[in-house]
Amino acid sequence: MKTSDYIEQSIANLWKKKLRTFLTTFGVVIGIGALVSMFSFGQGIQKNVTERFRELGLFNYINVFSGSEQGSTEQPEPNKITLLDDELIEQITQMEGVESAFPEIRFPAMIRFKDQEDFTLIQALPATVYQSDLIKLCAGTVYDSDEPNSLIISDALLRSLKIEDPHVAIGQQIEVATLIIDIGLFNPAAIASVLQGQTMPFARQSYTFTIVGVIERGEFGGPTPLRSDVYIPIGASEKMKKLSLTSIWDFFQPTGHKQGYSMVGVRVSSIKYIDPVKKQLEELGLKTFAFIDELQELKKVFLLMDMFLFAIGMIAITVASLGIINTMVMSILERYREIGIMKAVGASDRDVKKIFLFESATIGFLGGVFGLALGWAVSVLINSVVNCFLGGRGVPYIDYFSFPWWLCLGAIAFSILVSLAAGVYPALRAARVDPVVALRHD
Amino acid sequence: MSGTTFIKTTNLSKVYSSGRIEVVALKDVNLTIAEGTFLGVTGPSGSGKSTLVNLLGGLDTPSSGIIEVQDKPISELNKEELALYRRHQVGMIFQSFNLISSYTALENVAFPLLFAGVPKKQRNQRAAEMLETVGLYPRRGHRPSELSGGEQQRVAIARAIINQPKILLADEPTGNLDSKTSRQVVQMLAELNKNHGLTVTMISHEEALLREYANDIVRLHDGKIIDR
Repeated sequence: MKTSDYIEQSIANLWKKKLRTFLTTFGVVIGIGALVSMFSFGQGIQKNVTERFRELGLFNYINVFSGSEQGSTEQPEPNKITLLDDELIEQITQMEGVESAFPEIRFPAMIRFKDQEDFTLIQALPATVYQSDLIKLCAGTVYDSDEPNSLIISDALLRSLKIEDPHVAIGQQIEVATLIIDIGLFNPAAIASVLQGQTMPFARQSYTFTIVGVIERGEFGGPTPLRSDVYIPIGASEKMKKLSLTSIWDFFQPTGHKQGYSMVGVRVSSIKYIDPVKKQLEELGLKTFAFIDELQELKKVFLLMDMFLFAIGMIAITVASLGIINTMVMSILERYREIGIMKAVGASDRDVKKIFLFESATIGFLGGVFGLALGWAVSVLINSVVNCFLGGRGVPYIDYFSFPWWLCLGAIAFSILVSLAAGVYPALRAARVDPVVALRHD
Repeated sequence: MSGTTFIKTTNLSKVYSSGRIEVVALKDVNLTIAEGTFLGVTGPSGSGKSTLVNLLGGLDTPSSGIIEVQDKPISELNKEELALYRRHQVGMIFQSFNLISSYTALENVAFPLLFAGVPKKQRNQRAAEMLETVGLYPRRGHRPSELSGGEQQRVAIARAIINQPKILLADEPTGNLDSKTSRQVVQMLAELNKNHGLTVTMISHEEALLREYANDIVRLHDGKIIDR
């Protein structure tokens, strides 16, 4: 028998029992639909996260820390600590593939815009950092040199300063007040007051900046290269008097402790340089953190999530398989005599087996195609409901589902495969039918 | 008419077992069927006629003994080889016609060609020719339920001969037909035997009818040939 004949026969036989075929196939449709929507959800989340990372250019970054981290309980020998200083930054910049290396300079400041005040940590960033996609501006521009008193502020901080429209802020003056040691306090009475803990030996030093750009606040916390609400050029930062305290730990550093930068951000021109650069940095005794490594960890989590969703989908598939077995066994009982006739006119056991397997596969194919369509329809429905709900709260549209080509083809192939597996027992049973008994069967 | 030996059985026996009970359907049957003969097989119910035809047609396998078709022992063939034997060498018709009820006359006749791997167009063309031969071409689109008993048996004959078999085995083909139609059917088998050289073995209770058309008659009783 030709393959086209098997297909034609199976369609004709299934068509004879339309309702039963429809109900059985519908079971598969639901199973595959559930599996596809679960899987595409897993894929969608994965895609959204990785694409967001990629969009931000985070994969090209390595964060470098000195050997002894703040808060670390281990106390490495002082001469073994590699200090993150300008000399080292220069050395890192020379490494192959490194586009730029910039220190993380953060200091506390009070900002004042119009009548509103807020406390924040200001980060000094070189202008070169803005060449990457790390920053998303919602108004204005970035500063193109490290010298001017330009300032970039996040939309979130602007909102807390009661400015809703970021465009309003562009070109406006903003006051930045840093914390300095109060020299005026160095008289005996004041010192006594400080020593008794009644006053703090600090004063404010104000600077005026011009807001040139407003950025969207980053969605990811953690050690990203940008983790402040206010950014100023490095040159401007250097000219400011300030205490570079970022946490209470800084107060407990031993006297005479040589202070380097707490972190250096390294941007490489391509992902392929991540590993070699990391290796060189680690050889220098530095600790590194690359987002690409985090992605590998994240992928393991996604795999677990996919497996969990797959397991849920498989329940529906198992039920659908039982439906196929039931339908096919019923079909054999009904066509018992027909099987006898097939054999009497020259069909081999293999022919009979194949006829029934093709019928199962046809159910699987139809179930796969329509199941895929159902899964897609469900995803469209969920997407529109969720986005409609979240859209009202200002969350931008996100496609929570992803249908890569391999998922579509895989769903159909899997459906056929499962249906074939379900059809094996009925097909073997049909092939074993004794023609002499079958021909006498009423 | 006695040509070369087409089928020869040697000590052919068939025993059906059902639990501890054994039923001997055929016992040491030695039979020779010459090529081109019309052999009639008669005998009372339960004498082993259908068993003999099923064994000769390769639908069943003997418990012991040998069946040789053109000197080749078919009792030693495996299932696949037996299917090929049924497909290319044997045509069978039955008392209850055994047509597929959901198929048209044309589809029923074309059915065996499906397993022979003949393309659909040729299948339909050859089936139409066969229906023409049995005089049912105008009824080609009818389903078995829309045909008379005689017509159904003629469709079954067309189906049995579409693969140009060497032997036609008929298991009481007139059992469900009136005497007039029975005669027409047997006449048709006799014509196929005479005009196309087809070897025919027909089981019937109607010995008188067999005597009219068969070259030879064997009588079975309790699984044994008692008269030839």
